Amino acid sequence: MIESYIPILLIIGIAVIFGVVSINLSWLLGPQRPYREKHSTYESGVDPVSTAHYRFSVKYYMVALSFIVFDIEVVFMYPWAVQFRELGWTGFVVMSVFIVVLAVGFIYELKKGALQWD
Amino acid sequence: MSSELIVFLILAAVGVLSGILMITRPNPVNSALFLILNFMALAGLYITLHAQFVAIIQILVYAGAIMVLVLFVIMLLNLEDEEPLREQMSKRHYGSLLVALLALVLIVQVIGWNSGGTLETMREQSPHALRIGTVEHIGSVLFTEHVYPFELTSILLLAAIVGAIVMAKKRFP
Amino acid sequence: MIEIIFESIPSFWPEITLSLTFVISMIVEFIVGGKGKKSTGMTTGLIVLLGFTVTILQMPFQDLEPRLLFGTMITLDPFAAFFKYLIVAAGIIVIVFSMQSHEVRRQETVGEFFCFIAAMTFGMFLMAGASNLLMIYLSIELVSLSSYILAGFSKKLKRSGEAALKYVLFGGAASGVMLYGMSLLYGLTGALDIYSIQSTLAAGMVVDVHDWSFVVLMLSIIMILVGFGYKISAVPFHFWTPDVYEGAPVSVTAYLSVASKAAGFAVMVRFFYVAFFDSVLDLGKWGSLPLVDWNMIIALLSVLTMTLGNVVAIWQDNLKRMLAYSSIAHAGYIMMGLVVMSDLGLTAMLAYFVIYFFMNLGAFYIVMSVADRIGSEHIDDYRGLGKRAPVIGVGFSIFLVSLTGLPPLAGFIGKWMLFSAVIEAHYIWLAVIGVLNSAISLYYYARVFRNMYLREPLNGDESPITFSPLVIVITILFIIPNIIFGVYFGPLISYAQRSVELFLQ
Repeated sequence: MIESYIPILLIIGIAVIFGVVSINLSWLLGPQRPYREKHSTYESGVDPVSTAHYRFSVKYYMVALSFIVFDIEVVFMYPWAVQFRELGWTGFVVMSVFIVVLAVGFIYELKKGALQWD
Repeated sequence: MSSELIVFLILAAVGVLSGILMITRPNPVNSALFLILNFMALAGLYITLHAQFVAIIQILVYAGAIMVLVLFVIMLLNLEDEEPLREQMSKRHYGSLLVALLALVLIVQVIGWNSGGTLETMREQSPHALRIGTVEHIGSVLFTEHVYPFELTSILLLAAIVGAIVMAKKRFP
Repeated sequence: MIEIIFESIPSFWPEITLSLTFVISMIVEFIVGGKGKKSTGMTTGLIVLLGFTVTILQMPFQDLEPRLLFGTMITLDPFAAFFKYLIVAAGIIVIVFSMQSHEVRRQETVGEFFCFIAAMTFGMFLMAGASNLLMIYLSIELVSLSSYILAGFSKKLKRSGEAALKYVLFGGAASGVMLYGMSLLYGLTGALDIYSIQSTLAAGMVVDVHDWSFVVLMLSIIMILVGFGYKISAVPFHFWTPDVYEGAPVSVTAYLSVASKAAGFAVMVRFFYVAFFDSVLDLGKWGSLPLVDWNMIIALLSVLTMTLGNVVAIWQDNLKRMLAYSSIAHAGYIMMGLVVMSDLGLTAMLAYFVIYFFMNLGAFYIVMSVADRIGSEHIDDYRGLGKRAPVIGVGFSIFLVSLTGLPPLAGFIGKWMLFSAVIEAHYIWLAVIGVLNSAISLYYYARVFRNMYLREPLNGDESPITFSPLVIVITILFIIPNIIFGVYFGPLISYAQRSVELFLQ
């Protein structure tokens, strides 16, 4: 049973190795001649103005929240899609009701301008 | 040692270590990243328990969507100076520690009490239990037996979307 | 499987109507108040009101023969129907209140306010009938989610934001603990519906008293009790109540204190009554749970709840906060009916809820109307109110006397039934503590009478405060049942007795 997950394990292993190796390789192979300007934060050649920490607007948060809700909606669709044939029309109607209710939420977002950026 | 035990030990070690690192890092973003690692380890544990669907959801929803939200909240609060977040052990923490220890004792005891039922015996007793966590099985149960809770979820999600907009949006047109 | 759905739907119209009300009111809200258009929210409010009216008109035509819907998800029985009437009636009244309230109407999102009242009412309907752990959890979450948003509705007020935040944090923690408890219970019994849980526990195969499994069962029950206790604001899970009741708009506070509490008690009674009682053989004893005297634990919780609520209320100067502590105390009284889950105790509980409905909603209505007129909820601003607005003064006095439980008003009948139920089960000390608590409550209610009638107004302003005729009429409509049920309570009690029929398998 667990053996069937070996390919996934291999991919995770390769991903980790690739990340670790490529970062350290560039550090090893590249020439290291640091000076003050090189160490400063890159800001299109201009001297950095403030710290990288600044307050994000609450608007990002709203986008993230909508994303989560619709992400969860999609999660419910996987089992339905897999069992689509077996569930037949009943499953289709059940899923339609689910999606219509959430579509109301989506149209509400659009109409109330929750996804507008100003 | 069976291969399953080895996998379990690795995943458990990763889970516990990343959990400890999460609560001890002074930088909240680092903590969030360790939490992702913790979620990954949990997803692996779910797979060893034959809960494949839950494992995928753990990665898609928790390590993906929820962590985006957590990172946005960290950036929204803009915790520049991490020092105030550090706490020293005080009297009230000893109370919490005591409760945590009690919970630990309980968990250990419960596991000990239930030690007869390993995965092997479970497999022998009911071969059906093996496929209970697959996407197919969840699909066939969710849309028949549990169809009403499923539809109710859509109402709950609708209330959540609108509630988030009502609470977070500054101006309405 | 599809047959079960088709069989269930005819018995399920009130719930379907309510869910449609929620969705349709949302559609109406974004059509009326879409881009560039300003929504007053009143259209949405009227849609919700219409939906509630249709719901309450459908309910008398329901066949109340106890049965299960959608497999084991929802139970339909007279007990659930009783709470549904109470909840939807409170919903209609709260919408009428909110349409008048300045506090609600000056918000930008009035329309959404009414949508969430609809969602909350729908959730509470499901709570009244939920007989599956999954449904119990989902319905409580729907109600909690809507009430978090309603509590923080006056977004620009700091105390409203504080209320919503405290409510979310506390509610999240409580429902997390409850969910963990439910998962333990599911792990022990392998069943989600409370009837199978009962039969599995009664068979005595999974839980052994000499074993750790018994400890796990106890733990899971205590954890589930945390979730219910938070919903009914019982001590020690009451911390959110004063801040939320103070920060939320008054109409929301009124709804939370009456309907949300009623739904919490409904789901709690159904869960414990069905899952843990050998109701047929040994009434009032927790049959499936030996060793621990659960009646005593509930009795102690009840005593703590009423005493804390009453004692802390003495020091409150904000009337909303005072009524919040008073509602904690009333949760304590109502829990007395749970101590003995006999038919008598449950009848007393149900009758108390009807009476509490009229006296508490009336009191909150007065606080709301006065706050709309003079802009204050402080007790000092009620000085001389009895002379400046006679009907309001008399009405408020009647509601408060009724809340105290003095004859000849309705509150006395409610208390008398509760006390006689516990005395019959030989918990005389509990009844004595209940009476002592009523005496304490008289003290802080009397402070309000003193301010209204015996003290001069703060700045010497004795000019009459005029209220619109609608306010006067609604006040009088609330006074009438408070007096009638005090002297003519036969029908109320017989209706409560008929409603104690829970579906058992």
